[in-house]
Amino acid sequence: MTRTDDLPRIFGLREAGVYYALLILLFALAAIASSRGLPPYLSGQNLGNIAYQASLIGIMGVAMTVMLITGAFDLSVASVAALSAAVLVGLAGSIGFVPAVFAALCTAAAIGLLNGAIVQFVGINAFIVTLGTLTAVRGLVLVLTGGRSLMVEDPDVLAQMLAFESTRVPLFIAGILLSAVLLGTAVWKRRPLMGAAGLCIGALILLAGPGFAVAAPVIYLAIFTLIMWALLGFTTIGRRLYAVGGNAEAARLSGINVHAYKLGAFVLSSVAAGFAGVLFGSRLGAINPTALQGAELTVIAAAILGGTSLFGGAGSVVKTVIGALLLFTLTNGFNVLNLGANYQGLIEGIVVVAAAAIYTVGGQRRVGKPKRADTAPDAPPVSEGASA
Amino acid sequence: MVRDVPLLALSGVTKTFPNGTVALAGVDLTIQPGRVHGLLGANGAGKSTLIKILSGALAPTGGDIRWRGERVSWTRPQAPREAGVATIYQHIPLVPTLTALENILLDQRAFLRHRADDRQRIGDVVASLGHPFDLDDLAGDLPIGARQMISIAQALAGGADLVVMDEPTASLAGDERQTVYDTIRRLAREEGKAILFVSHFLDEIMALTDEVTILRDGRAVLHAETADLDEARIAETIAGRAITALGRRKTRSEPGPVRLEVDAVASPGKLAPTSFTLRQGEILGIAGVLGSGRSELMHAIFGADAHATGTVRLDGAEIGRYTDEAVAAGLALVPEDRAGQGFVPQMDIARNVGLGVMAQSGAGVRRVDAKDERRCAENAIRRLGIKTPGPHALVTELSGGNAQKVVVAKWLTDRTRVLLLDEPTAGIDIGARTDILLLVRGLADEGLPVILVSSEFEELLAICDRILVMRDGRVIGEADPNETSETDLTLMAGGGDRAPAGAPA
Repeated sequence: MTRTDDLPRIFGLREAGVYYALLILLFALAAIASSRGLPPYLSGQNLGNIAYQASLIGIMGVAMTVMLITGAFDLSVASVAALSAAVLVGLAGSIGFVPAVFAALCTAAAIGLLNGAIVQFVGINAFIVTLGTLTAVRGLVLVLTGGRSLMVEDPDVLAQMLAFESTRVPLFIAGILLSAVLLGTAVWKRRPLMGAAGLCIGALILLAGPGFAVAAPVIYLAIFTLIMWALLGFTTIGRRLYAVGGNAEAARLSGINVHAYKLGAFVLSSVAAGFAGVLFGSRLGAINPTALQGAELTVIAAAILGGTSLFGGAGSVVKTVIGALLLFTLTNGFNVLNLGANYQGLIEGIVVVAAAAIYTVGGQRRVGKPKRADTAPDAPPVSEGASA
Repeated sequence: MVRDVPLLALSGVTKTFPNGTVALAGVDLTIQPGRVHGLLGANGAGKSTLIKILSGALAPTGGDIRWRGERVSWTRPQAPREAGVATIYQHIPLVPTLTALENILLDQRAFLRHRADDRQRIGDVVASLGHPFDLDDLAGDLPIGARQMISIAQALAGGADLVVMDEPTASLAGDERQTVYDTIRRLAREEGKAILFVSHFLDEIMALTDEVTILRDGRAVLHAETADLDEARIAETIAGRAITALGRRKTRSEPGPVRLEVDAVASPGKLAPTSFTLRQGEILGIAGVLGSGRSELMHAIFGADAHATGTVRLDGAEIGRYTDEAVAAGLALVPEDRAGQGFVPQMDIARNVGLGVMAQSGAGVRRVDAKDERRCAENAIRRLGIKTPGPHALVTELSGGNAQKVVVAKWLTDRTRVLLLDEPTAGIDIGARTDILLLVRGLADEGLPVILVSSEFEELLAICDRILVMRDGRVIGEADPNETSETDLTLMAGGGDRAPAGAPA
């Protein structure tokens, strides 16, 4: 339910800032491209590229958002993704593609369970535990690969991997439909933000043209985001996750199995990382032991750009995906427009801190002074017998 | 002892917040040295704002503040402190990893620390308080009463002439309160300090203060000598209406069938094996001071204590030992610490209220019906008289009494079969307190069995059918509210010898 007096909040910087940032950046880059006489920046090809580059980080970011909502933290995702890729590439040749994917995901889930069990039942801070597994799992990757790159030799398996990872899905019609559905729902349920999203998606799809197609990982990201968005927003699972992160003791005393939800978040985070690793391994049919090193920080940066609180109880998976897109639009823009790759890190860092500052300052303003609903200034002073 | 120039005089002080909220609509307040001045008011009456203005945390938007006759305008916390006003907050901001001495010296400006004369000086101050703690104790290791004493020592060491105390006794046990009272009396009588004492407890206002100012809706509606007042008059003035005096429950309901059986429930080191039964429509009171094991008993029954043993049966069926099983079975707990255990601060009223029915429907995955949730919240707001702009306000934006009503509202569902209330009226104003107690009585009359834990024995006597008295982690007796006085209960719960709570028996 949205009320009209909520409009300034819904479209305020704190709630919708990350959407503005992405749109402004896209159009700024488009303007620079056209002023320099480069090919149009907002082409279907380029938009598809950005989404493709952001997809792995996006998948891990969505799970990381759920993790952060429960009030915990997972630094080990990039290492887990690398391990999962190594398991996939190492096993696919001998046991086949699908069983190797299964083995990779199980390995990832086991690490998530281990992380969660140590955090929940030994009581060590998640930051420390996952810092440990970050290093240890990366070490395990080195042990498994012997420090060399692994690759899949079998051409059949390689073809399966490529089909899984690199199939291009035409998205023009689907995009127009999505935009129409969003607009329709927005009018029906009176959700202004959804309407704005529908308009933007529609405009971008039209700009991209009828040949617009994206690689399969973008679709996987979209499906995963949709599922998690629906789970968080409309089901009791989501409500419990937010409650656990907002106040674990209150959640426990309200009859919520806090351990199960926290543990579940760790497993989800690792399995999502494992899936990202499967995609990464399938991309080239090969894995380098240092693959994805440092990606966990990009994942967390995407969640922060999306306004997820590091203290739990707040966050949105859609905004995390937008945050990931924002980061990769920056990278892509620097490359395509040749703006000087040396500035890239500097700009990205500033963007993340600036976003966090906007959320923090905006948050303080929202939780301002309590409004008094009981204003009754007509109360006469009781002064008889009082020495005023 | 009225002097020509008061220590502090406020006239027509107003505070309007940028969002248009009028917190103070013109307050007059005169504070004389050597006197204890009580400040009372319901939640939302403007007490906190007034204290923040006196401590320099907020600047008034209008009116006049005179300190020793001179007009002052304090806009930062250091200014009143340098002038000689020290404020002691309800939640004491101490650094737990520093010693008592270091905490006391925190606000001192000197560059070098631990000079011998500092230690000597602070030692003298602490000695004058009756040595409630050792200078080298870590603040985090000390009980809450001793931490209160640290902040009093801090105020005195800073050379304060006026000490503002915001509900200093709200979280203290009986004997710790007594120490604070003695200290306040001595500071006023012997050292000529002025004390502004803010409290919800009418009895301590009556016993301790020389004069009283009562705020309501941002105005000082009453200023009088304490000797000219009685508790009923104060309570009426605070509420702004003659409160329906919560007289003792006249018509006790007929004892129904046994619903809840608590059998040898215990928790190692905290709770001795305890057994009792609870009947349909019965309100069972648990009387005990802080640390008597009353909250531990509630948690053990509710499955919130992983180390607890014993069995709890509801309508003959045994209840599991985890909170989710207890809630699914129909047990509901309103915990003692509403901010820490009662609500989720990031969620609005509707979602917090929705947590109760969600957990009671079991752990399965279901769609959340936002409309239904909103309707439930609106019902609760009406039924409990929660003062809020609407069901989508954050609970953190509400006053203490209204936030507590939200926590209670969480369990006002058809599936609640036993209601456990742990200090539901602690730290809330008399209006909200009456609302909650009347609600509890109404629920019991409809047949709901209730266990009510309270350190306000008057409340227990007013609404309970039976009272168990706890001390040192065990039930030491049962009292019939018809034949027991508040004094009897106090003596039983506190021990005739006033032994410190929690000490080995």
